[in-house]
Amino acid sequence: MSNLAKLTSIDRRWIFLLIGLGTLIPVLLPIGFPVRVTAPVKQIYDKIETLGPNDVVVLSYDYGPTTGAENDPMTDAILRHCFSHDVKVIALALYPLGGLTSLTASIDRITAEFPDLEYGVDYVNLGYKDGGQATMKLLAEDFSGAFPNDTHGTPLSNLPLMQQVKGARNAQFAISVATGIFGEWWANLINAQYGLPIAVGCTAVSAPKYYAYLEAGQMLGLIGGLKGASEYEQLVKDNYPNTREAYANPMLQTASKGMDVQTIDHLIIIAFIVIGNLAYFADRRAKRA
Amino acid sequence: MTGMELFGTWIAALLTLCLMSFLYKDNPLFRFAEALFAGVSLGYYIGITMDQTLRPNLFEPLRDSGLTLETGHLLFAGLVGLNLYTRYVPKIAWFARSSLAIYVGYYVGINMVQKLQGEVLPQAAATMVDLTGGGSPTDALNALVVFIGVLTVLIYFFFSVEHKGVFGKASRVGIWFLMLGFGAAFGYTVMGRISLLIGRINFLVIQWIGGTLQALGIGG
Amino acid sequence: MFLKVRLPILLTFFAGLIPIVAFFFKDGTPYVKTLSSSLEQDMVIVSGFALLLGVVNVVQGNVRKIERREKGWFYAIVLLAGMAFMGLFGAAGAMRLFGLPGIGMMADGRPTPFQWGSLYLFTPLQATMFALLAFYIASAAFRAFRIRNVEATILLVAAVFVMLGRIPIGEPLFGPITEWMMQVPNGAAQRGIIIGAALGAASLSLRVILGIERSYLGLDKSE
Repeated sequence: MSNLAKLTSIDRRWIFLLIGLGTLIPVLLPIGFPVRVTAPVKQIYDKIETLGPNDVVVLSYDYGPTTGAENDPMTDAILRHCFSHDVKVIALALYPLGGLTSLTASIDRITAEFPDLEYGVDYVNLGYKDGGQATMKLLAEDFSGAFPNDTHGTPLSNLPLMQQVKGARNAQFAISVATGIFGEWWANLINAQYGLPIAVGCTAVSAPKYYAYLEAGQMLGLIGGLKGASEYEQLVKDNYPNTREAYANPMLQTASKGMDVQTIDHLIIIAFIVIGNLAYFADRRAKRA
Repeated sequence: MTGMELFGTWIAALLTLCLMSFLYKDNPLFRFAEALFAGVSLGYYIGITMDQTLRPNLFEPLRDSGLTLETGHLLFAGLVGLNLYTRYVPKIAWFARSSLAIYVGYYVGINMVQKLQGEVLPQAAATMVDLTGGGSPTDALNALVVFIGVLTVLIYFFFSVEHKGVFGKASRVGIWFLMLGFGAAFGYTVMGRISLLIGRINFLVIQWIGGTLQALGIGG
Repeated sequence: MFLKVRLPILLTFFAGLIPIVAFFFKDGTPYVKTLSSSLEQDMVIVSGFALLLGVVNVVQGNVRKIERREKGWFYAIVLLAGMAFMGLFGAAGAMRLFGLPGIGMMADGRPTPFQWGSLYLFTPLQATMFALLAFYIASAAFRAFRIRNVEATILLVAAVFVMLGRIPIGEPLFGPITEWMMQVPNGAAQRGIIIGAALGAASLSLRVILGIERSYLGLDKSE
């Protein structure tokens, strides 16, 4: 057995250690790699830029803490963009395993940065609802069919923003930040049946599938994983100086900072793949000889 | 950070470390955190379903408006929902079938429309495009690649005919397209899993250690 | 026989037919619209009850484990205790008992016990469980990713291109080709899978609505 082949049988905990260090060191000593913006992310940003002060974006939190590390920076950046651009937001959650927790935490975090915002006028938090497609059909026609109250128990009829748009179909744009299948439902149910322009911010795992919807025009844009989130952050930071202070906070977890780790860890894994294959070929050659 | 928040952050950090200890080897601390994970998640379902769905959509309308023509169907829904639980009473377990039938029936119906109108039609329409329709030669070439890809992948999934001859070759091309898709999915999965790890390491470094130091008045 | 077998099949048929008919009469007919939106409101509630069905299963299984002192019974207690903490405080919040205003924050800005559990138990446990997979995927890539044949080579090359094309230092070189790969050949493969799976799902839906497929009711074809 060659030395390379021996290397492939090392205790996997050494691999774990390398990945652990590859993650920890860039977190402690950030490098600050630049981020390049891709078209699917820019298309979402551009769509929100076309909206005016009376326009409404529906933001659906279709994920929970499981994938919060990927999805939270997306919803945070979208909220910062909407609030900086004076666009109103109706936020809701459809994902049962933590959607409400992610939604409430994100709304609280970002609205604290915009003290002039008025609840019920500039944004609304509808909370979580069971029901999946049934809820989506209802809220497309009339929010109050699915959400009689907001998350604080206030009837929707008492919230000025909810008088402006009856259902999601009357909003200008909807974004689902999703893990799993919920983003697909916004495309193949809400966009397909009501024509509402939608976009999805998805986990990296599900990004490849969403490209089919994007290319078919069923979605207006796509934020794929932490890389996509870092691109959106970059666009918001570049164009809205008021958000730079928040992004400069060392206590804030951002996608842009995460890209340092992503770079190091990807390179480690690619090196593993190369070593594994070199060992495989060395072993095969030795066997043939 | 308040004392309560700091206490919570410490609990969260210790639970994170308990789960991470599995990387070294299976141990009682991991088992403890794993069992707590399952229990807390189920308890979470109970809380959000009762507070966010059953209370505002069932109990409050019935309590506030009473049994009217408009709210009557909600009482029916509540009974259908409760009836699902008769499956745990052996003698009347078959009662639950009717509730299950309505529940499954509705979602199967909506799913059928969703799949045909929301997926098959738009996806097929986006595949069958005019190559001379005004786009650049690159667009036309890309559209052709997509058409070949979709067709050959569908041929690969067509199991009623033996994959031999031209059909077999087309199916092989379909496999190549699929492999490329799966490879891309693997690359993205690596990216996704690393992102989740970043989240936990960030939590331990920034919120737990950083937060504790800040609370103790050490560092910024 | 009618109540046990025919009625459920008829109910499936009608419940399945309503969203299909409603799709074809979206804006025109108030009766269809009312019927369909009432059923949708009902399904939101029934989904809530259905989501909690699993809780009963887990409680039954774990109580049995404790009663029989089966291996790992201590962890069954931990599971039930975790569930009881979140579930009871969640239910109490939902019913506004013990002065709880709900399951979020109290009026003075402190979290309710359910909210505290959501933030400091539920969130870290959920997030860490999946974060662990990062280590295993790295190990799997090292041990299993081999250039054995054409298919495996395409798989590996695509994966490496994506890993390089989606990080800042690889992006200038691999970014454009990764983006093309995702949009064109990957898009085609995903589209093929979506169309194939959607046709399969639609035909299964039809079988269920027409009563041909009955296994979900615990019935076989002869019943």
